[in-house]
This record gives sequence, structure tokens and C-alpha cells, in this order.
Amino acid sequence: MSWQPIFLDRLPAKIYEKQYRMIISWRYKFRNSIMDRIDPRSRWIFSFAFLISATMFWNANYLFVFFVLAVIWYAFGKTTWKETRHGWLLVSIMLFSMIVINTIITGGGAGGVVPPGGHVVWDKGFSLPLLKWHIDFGLTVERIWFAICQLMRLGGVSMIFVLIPYTMDSRAYGATFHGLGMPDKFAYTMELAFRFIPTLARDLSVTLDAQKARGYELEKVKGGIFRKIARIAPLLVPVTMNAIVTSEDVANAMDLRCFGQAKRTWIYPLNYHWWDYLVNIFSAFMLIGSVVAVYVFDQGGYWVPNWFLNLFIHH
Amino acid sequence: MAEKKKSIWKFGTREVVFAAIGAALYAVLAYATNVLQLPGAGNVSIRPAVVIPMFFGIAFGPIVGFISGFVGNILSDLLSGWGFWFWWDLGNGLMGLIPGLISGLIVDYKAIKSLLLGELFVILGAAGGMGVASLSEMWVSGADLNTVIFANFIPAFVSNIINGLILLPILMVAYAAIVQRSGRS
Repeated sequence: MSWQPIFLDRLPAKIYEKQYRMIISWRYKFRNSIMDRIDPRSRWIFSFAFLISATMFWNANYLFVFFVLAVIWYAFGKTTWKETRHGWLLVSIMLFSMIVINTIITGGGAGGVVPPGGHVVWDKGFSLPLLKWHIDFGLTVERIWFAICQLMRLGGVSMIFVLIPYTMDSRAYGATFHGLGMPDKFAYTMELAFRFIPTLARDLSVTLDAQKARGYELEKVKGGIFRKIARIAPLLVPVTMNAIVTSEDVANAMDLRCFGQAKRTWIYPLNYHWWDYLVNIFSAFMLIGSVVAVYVFDQGGYWVPNWFLNLFIHH
Repeated sequence: MAEKKKSIWKFGTREVVFAAIGAALYAVLAYATNVLQLPGAGNVSIRPAVVIPMFFGIAFGPIVGFISGFVGNILSDLLSGWGFWFWWDLGNGLMGLIPGLISGLIVDYKAIKSLLLGELFVILGAAGGMGVASLSEMWVSGADLNTVIFANFIPAFVSNIINGLILLPILMVAYAAIVQRSGRS
């Protein structure tokens, strides 16, 4: 079941939809997937171990292993394309920019890894017919291979992290970060922020409606960028100031209940299962193994396999 | 009125609530204004909400500013379904922490000196925060420094300082009225 604020459970569905459809809905829903059964703490441990491990390598053999691992992890989430396409749109823009523009065309993205020179396969650049621009660039085999490595590396990391909003229950964040060693107050801040989101979304919606009734238009503001930004003020100021005034009441109420005087308990307690320990142990091995492979056996470096060179270079 | 020196690193009940409110505000406002795109700059949106961690840092201290930016960016990405990008979350956190370093110096939020100091630290905060986030792309993406500067740092930095410089004084002046009315700062 998708999450909604507890106090809204009592509202008839029609009123709830009418008031909240405009702004906020969490992307998480229970899918009865393998990922739903893995403890969120183990998931964060795995995700960060993967990030640190994968970014140590430019060696395609290792990156391929990480990529396959990411595909398997992603499949555990049982998400659909329709659900996650928004996240992938952002990742696609990033990958296009990093791989096509920065690596293949300009070579800037490969500058830190691929040695200068190389085997040229295309040196004529290309023209943009409508604009009549000619873009000069020389494409080398080494840069094409680097683009493939980058696709596996960034694609793998993206799969791990794009999955999080769709498969991690937002109610468990406070307890999760507390379980990972974050102090009570910081973990509770995170928990409280989640609680405030629907309230502030409602305030924003009410303020927007009130300002619109006075002729305010958020989307169709005339003028340049500076004017557009300044015109946000009638929305930003009342919502922010109202939130600050409300905060004082919340803080007073928490003080009256002796907040921070004793160790907290959490509404959604987390318990490790045997498979969570396996994920943690695997993550530790992945991280230690990567450090040893890169810093002891020098396996992390970039190189182009001969079979790939032979595809382009004819002897 | 006697000026009382504030401890900028205090993190009590009020700071917990302000940090949570700041993070939630940042997330909701960033999500609500995603429709505004910079003309001619792909994938760079006008995000007026970046002023929230900057303002919360200045008003309530660097820890509140950091959490507002860091957690707010995480929540905004969770709402938008954009995933989890730790290094950009950290950058947003620093964008709130750095302006927060002057929170102890500001007593009158509508004084010209306070406004100018705030504007200066908005620039430093955006430079520091977006600098760290952009440089981390060298580690993650293997890009060289030129690419990181022109493709990541400059669009994010310029967009954030424009938003911050325009909106911060408006929020500070509005907050001065709240402080005057409530008698607390």
C-alpha cells in the first residue's frame, strides 16, 4: 500500500484526492519484491559499497561484472518502466551529456583517463545541416571503448540509486539512518521532514490558489529570468514565514514532551534477517576485494582489448 | 536592545524542527517549481528553492542550513523520482552550511550590512557547494577539470547565485518582521 499521512486516512477519498492531487505523492509502493524484504540499512550499505567499488575501476572486465550485478539488483526491485521513466529521463540526459558530448565528440570526459593520441577512426567531424555548422572532431578507438566503459560504470551506479525512491519505504528513513549510526536528533530531523511534506504541500497549494485569485501566474510570467525569479516571492515568502511561525509551536510542544532527554524509540523498528547479514558480508567483500584488486594487483586501469582494436584497424 | 551572541553550532529542539521544516520546504518548493526551465540551457532548471537552505543557514545556523539543503535535496529527488545522488545532496548541504557561518553575526535581518553579508555568503556557499558536487563528477564520471567546470559547475553555480541573490534579501526582510513580532530570533 502506498504511504499517506496517517491523519489523512480518516478523510473521504474524494476530499483527499481533491486537496492533494496537485502536489505530492511518494514514489514508493509495496511490490512484494525481493527488495521489499531486504533491510533498508543493508541496502544503503550495499549501495555505497557498490558506488565506491565501481568508481575505482576503468577496467572493462571488472566494470562488466559490476554492471551485471547492478542489473540483478535492479531486477530485485520489480519496478516497471512506466513507474521509473521519469528517473531514467534524467539519467539519460546525464549519460548523453557525459558519453556522447563529453567523451565521443569533445573528448573532455575521457581526458582524465584515456591517454592522448590513439587509433583514429573518424577525423572529418560532422555538419549540422539546418544550422550549417561544421563540428571538427577526431574520434579514436580508445575513446569509443572509454564510452562503453563509462556507460557500464555510470549505468550501473544509476541503476542502484535510481531504484531507491521507488522501493524504499519513506516511513523507515529515520530508523534506517539511526540504525546506520546517525545521532538520534539528526535521524529524527529526517523523520520529521517527511512528516512535514504533506502539510507544507497543502500550505503551498492554498497560498498558490489565494495568489492566483489575485491574478498571480506562476507559469506564464512575462519578462526575463530575473523578473521570473523575483515573481516567485509572493509564493515563497508567505509559505516560508508561515512554516517558521508553525515551527515555534512544534518546538515548544516537543520541549514540553522532553524531546532529546532520553534515547529514542522508533515507530517502525528494523530487524536484520539472515539474508541481510549476507548482503552486508557481500558488500564488505566487494569493497575490500576492489581495494585489493586496484591497489595491490593494479587491476583498475583503463585498457583497450585487442579484439576491439581489430574491429576498426584493418591490417 | 542588548545584542546577544548566538552559538551557531547549537542543535537543540528548535534547530531540529527548523532543519526539518527547511528540508521539507526545500523539497516541496523545488518540486513545485520544476516547471521553470532556463531558456537555452538544457537540464538546468530555475530552482528558486535553493534560497531556502541559504536563508535557513543564515537565520538558524550552519547545521540547520546543511540539513535543509542535504535532506531537502534528497526529499526533492525522492518526490521527483530522480534517484539518490549523494554528492549533489552534499553540495546542496554545503550551500546552506556556508551562509550559516555568519548566522552569529546577524542580529537585525533587515540592516543593509546584514543583507550585504548574506549576499556575499550566498555566493561563497553556491561556489563551495556546487564546487564540491561538480568536482565529485571527476571521481564518478572520470571527466576532466574543463568538462566539470563548463558542463557542471558554471550552470549550477550561476543559476543558484541568481536565485539566492534575488530571493535572500526578500526572505531576510520578511523574517525581520517575524522576529520583531515574536521577540525571538
